[in-house]
Amino acid sequence: MRQIAAVLGIAWATLNAVVGAFFVTGAFTATTAQKEGIAAQLALFVGGMLIITFGWLLTQQSWRLLRQRTEQ
Amino acid sequence: MLRAVTALIALIGIGIVVVAVMTILSQQASGAQPWGNELSDNIIFARTIPFVLALGVAAGMFGGAMSRNASSTRSGQVRRFSRATVIGHWIITLGFVLALPTGVWQYLGGIVDVTAPFPLYLSYRVHYIGAAIILFSLAYFLVYWWQTGHHSLYVPRTQWSTHLRGLAAELPAQIGRLVTRVFRLQDGGATAPVGQFTYYETAFSFPTWTFALALITVTGLIKALRYLTPVPGPVLWGASTLHVAAMVLLVLKLLDHLRYVFARWPLVVAMTTTWVSDQYARAHFPAWRQKRDPTEAA
Repeated sequence: MRQIAAVLGIAWATLNAVVGAFFVTGAFTATTAQKEGIAAQLALFVGGMLIITFGWLLTQQSWRLLRQRTEQ
Repeated sequence: MLRAVTALIALIGIGIVVVAVMTILSQQASGAQPWGNELSDNIIFARTIPFVLALGVAAGMFGGAMSRNASSTRSGQVRRFSRATVIGHWIITLGFVLALPTGVWQYLGGIVDVTAPFPLYLSYRVHYIGAAIILFSLAYFLVYWWQTGHHSLYVPRTQWSTHLRGLAAELPAQIGRLVTRVFRLQDGGATAPVGQFTYYETAFSFPTWTFALALITVTGLIKALRYLTPVPGPVLWGASTLHVAAMVLLVLKLLDHLRYVFARWPLVVAMTTTWVSDQYARAHFPAWRQKRDPTEAA
């Protein structure tokens, strides 16, 4: 069960990181954000970076869970 | 007796919701309105919201009644969560699994200018089903907590400094020092032993969940309301913007929640079985274990 949860955690974190990456690139390329101004672009950039960071932290934790063998 | 009454209320609630949904669907399917799939779904969702909330209230009363008198200990284990909490937790999880990716997709589609290989209304339809489940769950938990008096995650106004100091102690040293500085807490000294929940859960996690869920609910309701009554443009624009902001917050919250509980696997087990080992509880929630009373499972 622990291993299944860990794999699902890594999959979820990866999907979220992809979304975060789209946010970050969208901050520079999306025409809607450019029209709305610097605040919208900054929000996309910060939001995307935070999603990537939190996704990375979850990936690390899931990896540790995956490699755990004994009961806590 | 109380269980029977609340079970009856919940059953009546389910009956009313079934009749209401059937009525709404038959009205929509009559062809009297020239609406497309997406607009039709919007209106169905908006019209079912009151019934979904009412069902959540009835189910919360039932859950509260069911959680009374459940045994709180068994050989080497202690009940961490009530069955009602576990069921509610997995129901709201289902809501998130449906509503969050579809919400992100709707927003992301506009940013990256990509068209999905399926019609957009299907994405909205799943999003509304997930949103309805989340609305049900929010009503359920609010009534359940009200009925049972469980408020272990809530920090009383006078105890914020204690909880923030505990939070600072639980965080990595650098971030902990930052929290101490920002909130002007007295540095050093022993923090009070952890109670039923860690300081991270009481001082950070639960308040931010509450804020993000309240924000997405209120803004979502305003967005849905526009299909039933005129909503001023600026209000709608503000609600839509904040709805997206709340969505990003919830994406972050979910990632952080998974990270936190994966590092505390016995709590994940407890959120499935309701039980945690007495040894784990004594080691990680000493104040809770010391003054535990049999009705205290969260």
